[in-house]
Amino acid sequence: MENTRAILVDITKCIGCRSCEQACKQLHGFPQQTELKLSPTAFTIVEEHGDRFVRRMCMHCQDPACASACLVGALHKTADGPVTYDASKCIGCRYCIVACPFSVPRYEWAKLVPYVKKCDMCAERQLKGQQPACVEACPVQASISGTREEILIEAERRILNDPKYVHHIYGSDEAGGTSVFFISDVPFEKLGFVAAPKQPMPVLTANALGDTPTVILMGGALLSGLYWITQRRAEVALAEGHSPQGLTKERQD
Amino acid sequence: MTTNWLPKITLWRVIATLIFISGITATYMRFALGFARSTNLSDPQPWGLWVGLGTLCGVGLSAGGFAIAAAVYLLGFERYRPVLRTAVLVSFLGYSTVVTGMLYELGLPWRLWHPIVMWNRHSVLFEVSWCVMLYTTVLALEFSPALVEKIPWVRLRDLYLKWHHEILIALVMIGTLLSSMHQSFLGGLYLITKGKLHPLWYTPYLTTEFYLSAIPAGLAVTIMALYLSMRSLNAKVDPAILAEVSKVIAPLLALWGLFRAVDLITRDAVSYLFQWREETLSFWLEMGLFVFVPLLLLTRDKIRNNPQSLYWTCAIVVMGFMTNRLNVSITGLQASSGVYYIPKWQEFAATLAVLTAAVVAFRYAVIYLDILPKNPPRQRWLANATAEA
Repeated sequence: MENTRAILVDITKCIGCRSCEQACKQLHGFPQQTELKLSPTAFTIVEEHGDRFVRRMCMHCQDPACASACLVGALHKTADGPVTYDASKCIGCRYCIVACPFSVPRYEWAKLVPYVKKCDMCAERQLKGQQPACVEACPVQASISGTREEILIEAERRILNDPKYVHHIYGSDEAGGTSVFFISDVPFEKLGFVAAPKQPMPVLTANALGDTPTVILMGGALLSGLYWITQRRAEVALAEGHSPQGLTKERQD
Repeated sequence: MTTNWLPKITLWRVIATLIFISGITATYMRFALGFARSTNLSDPQPWGLWVGLGTLCGVGLSAGGFAIAAAVYLLGFERYRPVLRTAVLVSFLGYSTVVTGMLYELGLPWRLWHPIVMWNRHSVLFEVSWCVMLYTTVLALEFSPALVEKIPWVRLRDLYLKWHHEILIALVMIGTLLSSMHQSFLGGLYLITKGKLHPLWYTPYLTTEFYLSAIPAGLAVTIMALYLSMRSLNAKVDPAILAEVSKVIAPLLALWGLFRAVDLITRDAVSYLFQWREETLSFWLEMGLFVFVPLLLLTRDKIRNNPQSLYWTCAIVVMGFMTNRLNVSITGLQASSGVYYIPKWQEFAATLAVLTAAVVAFRYAVIYLDILPKNPPRQRWLANATAEA
C-alpha cells in the first residue's frame, strides 16, 4: 500500500493563484470561472481563511467510506491509490455523499440524469506516469505528488525541521489514513478541516453487518427451535387431554 | 359499496383527489425537471424527506406483519390470528409504498435492479436492498391466499392453497429473519456518519435501537388500520383484539426507552439532554411522543379498552416513531451539514400521494377480500384456527 500514489499540500507555500483549480477544470472541460465550493464542475477549489489558502479535494482514503457504502460497488479504491467512480454502475442513491467524513462527493442535482462527481486524482494520467493536473500546474510546488511513502517522509521532514509547522500531518490518521495530506502553520481546525474519526470508516459498519451467512444460519436455527417448542407444547397439551387453546395446531390434514 | 358508475362525492374523496392531483404534479416535476426543481436536497443534505419519511418510516411502520406472523406461527400466540391478514396486508402495502418511493428517491431509478447483479457485501445499503426485495416477495406470498381463494376454478385454487400451506412456516421464518435484519440495518446505515450525526442519536447500537422501535410502531399501525376499518367500513372487529395487541406495545416502548437511557448514560451524552438547542428539543419531543405519553396512556385499562382512545394513543406512538426517524435522518445531521433543510412542497406532495394510494388500496382490499377479523377465512386448511372466532 505504501507505493500507492499520494499528494502533499503545504499550506504555508500556497499563494492562492488558483492554477490548480484552472488546470483541473481545463482537463475535465469545465467552464473556467472560479467557484467557492466543490461542485460537479469543480473537483478542487482554493478557500481563503484569513491570509491562508486551503485547497479542498477528495482525500482518497486508504479504506474509503464511500466505497464501502456504495451498494453496487461504483466507487473503488484502485491499487494505485486513487478512489475512482464507475458511473455505469451508479443508481443515484447518494449514500456515498452521506458516508464521506470529509463531505467531498457532489451530485448533479440540476440534471435529469444525475451522477456523482469528485476528484479521481487523475488516475488515468498517473497510470501514464504523469502527475495529477493540479500538482503539475502549481507554480510554487505547494502541492507535490509521489508515492505515499515518499510523501509521508517529506511531510515529516518538513514539520520536524521547521518549528512553524503544526505537529500533525492532516490525513495521516484521519478516517484511518488518506492519500492526500496537508501540513500547515495554522491549527487545522481554524482552516475549516473537520475532526474526522481516527479509524477506517468501514469498520463502523462491518461490525454491525457481521457475517450474514452466520446470522442467517443462527437465526434460522433459533426460529426453527422456537417453532419446534411451540409445536411440541401443542402436542403435549393434546396428549394430556387439555384443550390446546392458545397454541398452534398446524398439521390438520 | 357503490354500484353507480358515477362515484358519490364525499369529503374524503375530494381530499384524496386533491392529494392525487398535487402528487401527480410533483411526480411530473420530479421526473421531467429533476431534483433541483422538485426538492430542496443539496450536497450537505443529500437525503431528505423521501428517505427519512418514505424509507425509514415506511419500512419501520410496516413491521406489524412480521411481528404478528412470528407471534402466531412461531410463538403460538393463537389469540393474534384474527388480525394476521390485516397486519400482513398493511405491511405489504407499506413495502409497496417504500419501493414506489425509491423510484422518486433514486437519481437513476431505471437502475433499481443493479443491486441484484452488482454486489458490494460491505455495504449496509446493499443488505437493506436485498432484504427489502426478498421480504416484499415474502409478504406478497404470505398475502396471496386472500386473492387466490377468490379464484373460481376450484382445482387450481386448492392446488395453490395446499402448496401455500406447505411452505407457510418456511415463509414466516424467512420473513422474520429478513425483517429482523433490515429493520436493524436501516439504523446501521447511519453508523458510518460518525462525527456527523449528533451524539444524541449516534450510537454503535443504532441497529438494536431501530429494531426495538420498529415492532411497537408496526403494531400501532396495525391497530390504527383495524380501527379505521371499523369506523369507516362498519367492519365488526372485536375491540378486545385491539386491546390484546396493544398490551405488547407498552412494554416494548418501555424497553426502548430504557435502552436509550442506558446508551446515553454509558456514552457520556447526558450533557446534551439539557441544552437550549433544536436537537435537544427534538429529542425530548421524540421521547415524549414515543415513550412517556404512550406509557402513561397504554397502562390504563380504560384507554386500552376504548377503541377510539386506543386509536389516538397509537397515533401518538406513530408520530413519536416518525420523530425519531426524522431526527436521525434530518435533525441530527443538520448541525454538521451547515444547511437548514426544509422539504419543498413537491416532496410532501409525492410522499402523501403514494401513501394515500396505499390507503385507497387497503380500503378496496378489505371491501372485496376476506381480510378483517369479522370475515374469517373458512377454508379447510385454516378451519381449526378460526373456528372459535
